[in-house]
Amino acid sequence: MVVAMCVNGCDRCHRPVKNTKLSESRARISTLMACASTSASATWNMTPLRSALPSIHAPSSATSVRFSTGTSSSRLKLSRPKPSSKILHSFVGLAPIHPLLSLASPDSTSFEHCFTVIDNGGRFFAMRHGRRVPKLNRPPDQRRALLRALTTQLLKHGRIKTTRSRARAMRKYVDKMVTLAKDGSLHKRRQALGFIYEKEIVHALFAEVEERYGDRNGGYTRIIRTLPRRGDNAPMAYIELV
Amino acid sequence: MSRFMEPLAVGRVIGEVVDNFIPSVKLNVTYYSNKQVSNGHELMPAVIAAKPRVEIGGEDMRAAYTLVMTDPDAPSPSDAYLREHLHWIVTDIPGTTDASFGREIVSYETPTPVIGIHRYVFILFKQRARHSVRPPASRDQFNTRSFAEENGLGLPVAAVYFNAQRETACRNR
Repeated sequence: MVVAMCVNGCDRCHRPVKNTKLSESRARISTLMACASTSASATWNMTPLRSALPSIHAPSSATSVRFSTGTSSSRLKLSRPKPSSKILHSFVGLAPIHPLLSLASPDSTSFEHCFTVIDNGGRFFAMRHGRRVPKLNRPPDQRRALLRALTTQLLKHGRIKTTRSRARAMRKYVDKMVTLAKDGSLHKRRQALGFIYEKEIVHALFAEVEERYGDRNGGYTRIIRTLPRRGDNAPMAYIELV
Repeated sequence: MSRFMEPLAVGRVIGEVVDNFIPSVKLNVTYYSNKQVSNGHELMPAVIAAKPRVEIGGEDMRAAYTLVMTDPDAPSPSDAYLREHLHWIVTDIPGTTDASFGREIVSYETPTPVIGIHRYVFILFKQRARHSVRPPASRDQFNTRSFAEENGLGLPVAAVYFNAQRETACRNR
């Protein structure tokens, strides 16, 4: 078959193509591209290209778009999310994706976030049967002091960042303080003063709890999990007054 | 789509600052050229001192967007009587560009979280027409919903928030 070597530009290449194989048509495309790049005009005439190509639409149109026009970036962007969704399907059965970590980079591949943080040395217990009191790795007096300090700080600052287990243990005591404040009598105030370390916070709490939590029955705190701590990879959480 | 809304709902950005919306435009806020803002993550006050680089998505450059940055926990999360405190408004941002192409009607104020951990929220609205957004009277007691209603902005198209606390908050013992 005759390969058209056109020097003066692609408009001259009007040879009709008969019985071409795919490789020869590809060679023709490359020569057409080469001669177009050497020619001075930037406009493409698609008729020699279409005549050179076989009637397979999908691959030929893809190659022609990529070479000729400049708006191929939109086509490339549309095809990008597919590989990441393929990877997601293969890893989704291992563990639930941590919502905060996966949202930090929504378009990155998610298999690196599929592994949960195992924080007790690899001994992963699936159940919590019968465990009522969170011990927090402390003897009882220190535990009580820690919880008193944490509730004092939460009532003072409104939102604090601690480890997840401490935040979960705190909830009961914060709710208890708010319930005492809702009652409002002198006896309850003195009970609160015996628990909270700073008396201004108790007085402020008793003053404002009516307008803040008057309608709410229970659940005066909210825990938002966050990234682990850098030093010891402890799972952290924000606990805040609702 | 709802996976992007969950941290905003859990962190009560939806509810206290804005109403429930469907995010339609990509919003990318980066501080100090490499610290990207992700929902609920914490940034240091040294990092957020300067204006961030805000890149927005959108389809064409003819659409104008407004970016609002507020602090709903001002002055303290336990007692937010100055809710919300306004930090920054940039209007007439063309689509698919970043905030330096817009008009800054309220200049960037460095966040100084004195008491507690504050949330700082970036909200993106789509404007109906250019030059239609007026700066509010004061930075305190700002209400995003009423600001959107006054300037005809409707529901937001994107939102992101981060936390920040005082530098020495963990050390002060």
